[in-house]
Amino acid sequence: MNDTDVNTSICPRCDAENVRVLTTSPVPGGWTMYVCVTCVYSWRSTEPASATDPLTYPAEFKINPAEIPAIPAIPAVPPRRR
Amino acid sequence: MAYADLRDFLAALDREGQLLTYSEPVAPEPDIGAAARATANITDRGPALLFGNINGYEPGKGRVAINVVGSWPNHALLLGLDKDTSVKDQFFEFAGRWDAFPGPIVRREDAPWKEVTLTEDIDLFQLLPLFRLNTYDVGCYIDKAVVISRDPDDPDDFGKQNVGIYRIQVKDKDRLGIQPLAAHDLGLHLQHAEERGENLPVAIALGNEPVITTVGGMPLAYDRSEYEMAAAIQGAPYPITTAPVTGLDVPYGSEVVIEGEIIAGEREIEGPFGEFTGHYSGAKRQPVIRIHQVSHRRNPIFEHLYLGMPWTEMDYTLALNTSVPLYRQLKTAFPEVTAVNAMYTQGLLGIISVKQRFGGFAKAVGMRAMTLPHGLAYCKVLIMVDDDVDPFNLAQVMWALSVHYHPLHDTVTVPNLSVLALDPSSDPAGITHKVILDATTPIAPEERGHYSQVVGNPERTADWENIVKGLLK
Ligand SMILES: [Zn+2]
Repeated sequence: MNDTDVNTSICPRCDAENVRVLTTSPVPGGWTMYVCVTCVYSWRSTEPASATDPLTYPAEFKINPAEIPAIPAIPAVPPRRR
Repeated sequence: MAYADLRDFLAALDREGQLLTYSEPVAPEPDIGAAARATANITDRGPALLFGNINGYEPGKGRVAINVVGSWPNHALLLGLDKDTSVKDQFFEFAGRWDAFPGPIVRREDAPWKEVTLTEDIDLFQLLPLFRLNTYDVGCYIDKAVVISRDPDDPDDFGKQNVGIYRIQVKDKDRLGIQPLAAHDLGLHLQHAEERGENLPVAIALGNEPVITTVGGMPLAYDRSEYEMAAAIQGAPYPITTAPVTGLDVPYGSEVVIEGEIIAGEREIEGPFGEFTGHYSGAKRQPVIRIHQVSHRRNPIFEHLYLGMPWTEMDYTLALNTSVPLYRQLKTAFPEVTAVNAMYTQGLLGIISVKQRFGGFAKAVGMRAMTLPHGLAYCKVLIMVDDDVDPFNLAQVMWALSVHYHPLHDTVTVPNLSVLALDPSSDPAGITHKVILDATTPIAPEERGHYSQVVGNPERTADWENIVKGLLK
């Protein structure tokens, strides 16, 4: 599979059009890693469709970008000492 | 018996026929995770796997070692024992060495990971063949490195310096996500740093000899040094080196040392990650590490741990370092406890053998186990057996459960106790009922059942065990 065969503009997990190149392989032409700026999902151009295809990514692993800010912070940030 | 570093241990595994070097080309995904999963699926005596030809990396450069302690023979070799040592014998050997705490440390400054230093344009993906382990992990993780930190309120206390294993998501070339739960020592260090409004310096040491990795996953008291425990377990002084930027003490023999800081007040989406419960963790907003410097050997080996549905390397690695602390703490209160097998999903299920003093005694011992530090997050199902039942022999345990356990008299359910939130049955997450199944033989004043006519071993059975063993060799 070549880079041109995979989706590189929409995040497979959250469908945000907020994807950038993370890095490329040490040996040129091996692969490209992408990362979604919205949900920090990352994937490699050479991965199976299970990791790269927004249309078939399973619903139970999808995430709605609007819900990200409400995800619990663990551990919670403690108050500053006075 | 002490291994100098990961390479020394891999060489020992190779000599014993417990290392499989794979030189054919492989894809980072799904091959490496699949190979580790497959090895765990087919045998409990499997080898470590070493991949040296990974797509995108020059052959012989990006190397991955996985499943390094992924079997009982490899665990025995970790302890310097014969690879055929039984699990029960490995347990008692481990427990004996645990009592040698604290062992000595030795400081050395000529660490092999000082060969190369990166301070600018850091890109972990160039240095290490990072890869997605399980299909729906959110990205690439580092899951077998030891993370070192100090208590900002007491930075000079060597014992409070923590060495622990935490899952780390590689979010960018030089930026990581980490999961320090509030109950973890690292969580406490971060809490103190954030209360002071300071970032928390951390060092992440990858690719180590197997003892510090084992101790890093051990539930030790807060002020106990993991290095001093590693020295006790390996029976030799543990060598450490000062990390150049943070001044933290890191293992002498590591492949790679990453230094940076957890950024105070920052939380960012992390996960899901396939966990040791056999389920994905879901996503949370968790702390973030900014990397400042990386020190490494030339052509470092990236050591990784496969985890997922048990059994995997995670279970072999944690089996005895979960069981032994429970055993030691339980025996302090009840010397009648003879062994503890808490190696099922890190002790969510455990088996305890005990010599009963009087009727109801085993149930009390089970209650005590639930209230030990590890029990607060685990010990959801406890099976109590007599002292002549080997808790590591499931055939014997199932026998005891099938003929000694009476559902009406021998079930103790304790409602709404704490458990780790990752237990997918907990509801709400972190709360569960717990149960003791008492499969000991009832004794006075609890006189019930028909247990007076046990079929024991014929005379000379012990002699014949040795004869048959000898003939089989
Ligand atoms: Zn996304």
